[in-house]
Amino acid sequence: MATAQSPAATPQRPIVRSGVKPLRAGEGSSFLWHKLHSLLGIIPLGAFLLEHMLSNFEALKGPIAYGEQVRFLNSLPMVRVLEWVFIFLPILYHACYGVWIWLRGKSNIVYYPWAGNWLYVAQRYTGLIAFAYILQHVIRQRFMGVSLPEHPMEAFAKVQQELANPWMLAVYVIAMIAICWHFSYGVWLFAAKWGITPGTRARKRFGYVCVALGLGLAIMGLWSIWAFVGNSASSF
Amino acid sequence: MANKTVSFEIKRQASPDAPAVWESFEIEWRPGMNVISAMMEIAGNPVTADGHSTTPITYDSNCLEEICGSCAMRINGKARMACSSLVDNLEQPIRVEPLSKFPLVRDLQVDRSVLFENLKAVKAWIPIDGTYDLGAGPRVLPQEQEASYPLSNCISCTCCMEVCPQFNEDTNFVGAATIAQVKLFNNHPTGRVLKEERLRALAGDGGIQECGFAQNCVEVCPKSIPLTNTISDISRDVLLQKAKDFLRN
Repeated sequence: MATAQSPAATPQRPIVRSGVKPLRAGEGSSFLWHKLHSLLGIIPLGAFLLEHMLSNFEALKGPIAYGEQVRFLNSLPMVRVLEWVFIFLPILYHACYGVWIWLRGKSNIVYYPWAGNWLYVAQRYTGLIAFAYILQHVIRQRFMGVSLPEHPMEAFAKVQQELANPWMLAVYVIAMIAICWHFSYGVWLFAAKWGITPGTRARKRFGYVCVALGLGLAIMGLWSIWAFVGNSASSF
Repeated sequence: MANKTVSFEIKRQASPDAPAVWESFEIEWRPGMNVISAMMEIAGNPVTADGHSTTPITYDSNCLEEICGSCAMRINGKARMACSSLVDNLEQPIRVEPLSKFPLVRDLQVDRSVLFENLKAVKAWIPIDGTYDLGAGPRVLPQEQEASYPLSNCISCTCCMEVCPQFNEDTNFVGAATIAQVKLFNNHPTGRVLKEERLRALAGDGGIQECGFAQNCVEVCPKSIPLTNTISDISRDVLLQKAKDFLRN
């Protein structure tokens, strides 16, 4: 025992079979679920985001115009079905699957601090901020307090009351920037990953378009927030 | 007067289950020295910087000129080829570690057979075997040759997989190198016969959909292969193939 040696006649090097598994060619359905996640981010979620931003912009015209916009949206045919099928369920899926994607990635930004790698990380954090914000936003503004579908004209006052709290205002400002970031980089990623911009220069040019989109949306959004807090004295 | 020296710190591990230890080495500087020549020298005279005799270091290498892809390792934290890493361009002590995403064999040697398995899974070859002489292949236009040549430069070093945040044991992502080879063989007039099979393979679990477009692969690739362009193109091809399969079945 004291003279134990490594076995002299090991037939051959043991085949190492740990580590990352090879591709399961053609197996499973993760392709479909990934592409659904990706598509839902653009349609309907991106489309809804644009609608929401435009509707918010009505607040700049005052409480009555804003209330009219809320009334119009709630007068759409089958609006409760639209709300669930095109907004709530897609957001829930996009968010939950997105968190799942995040948990399975292993960020290495410490070793490889490159631009694309930073954006990869930022897309995950902005997505998480967006999800946390949207959860409280929907619960507090849609399902708590005054029911806006029944009393659309009270929409402005409800939002104004919410934003009167400086902490809530900070949450809205941060979330607005995070969501615009997540959406505009998401559009860029969609174009890259669906083969719409396969060229390096095309991706670069489209990058400028997406920066403009993100900046434009963020400015619009922050301006709308200003409508609720900036001139509160003159609103009523 | 003492000659100029170069100091190295090498991560040692005697077996896959043995604990990892760092050992320091100091060797004489020579002009134009690269990391792999230093590894050879240290393996040939395995004495640490403080004069202790140790086991010779184990590493993979072959061509010494960035053509074979064997000597990929992490040098000062980053995955790269030891042969094309010039000592004069590196901060000292030069820290040398094995690639982190592949099963360790010993010291700096890792088992990268997952790439070979992936290439088999996507049929990364041109089928030309027959029972009779198939004759000359179809002509490849110069434009096609020019588009394919960069992809054919892949040396299977697996750097693109090592630096990919999505290449890990949770996703079991196939990695950029395999996707680039799918494009290479799909573009070939004879290789094209397996195009649909390759695209369907890449839609399997761990397939192209796992790419997060962090773009580290294209940054690190020692052969400057346009990997992100390829992933974009092949993503579209896979998607169209899946759509066709769905509608025609």
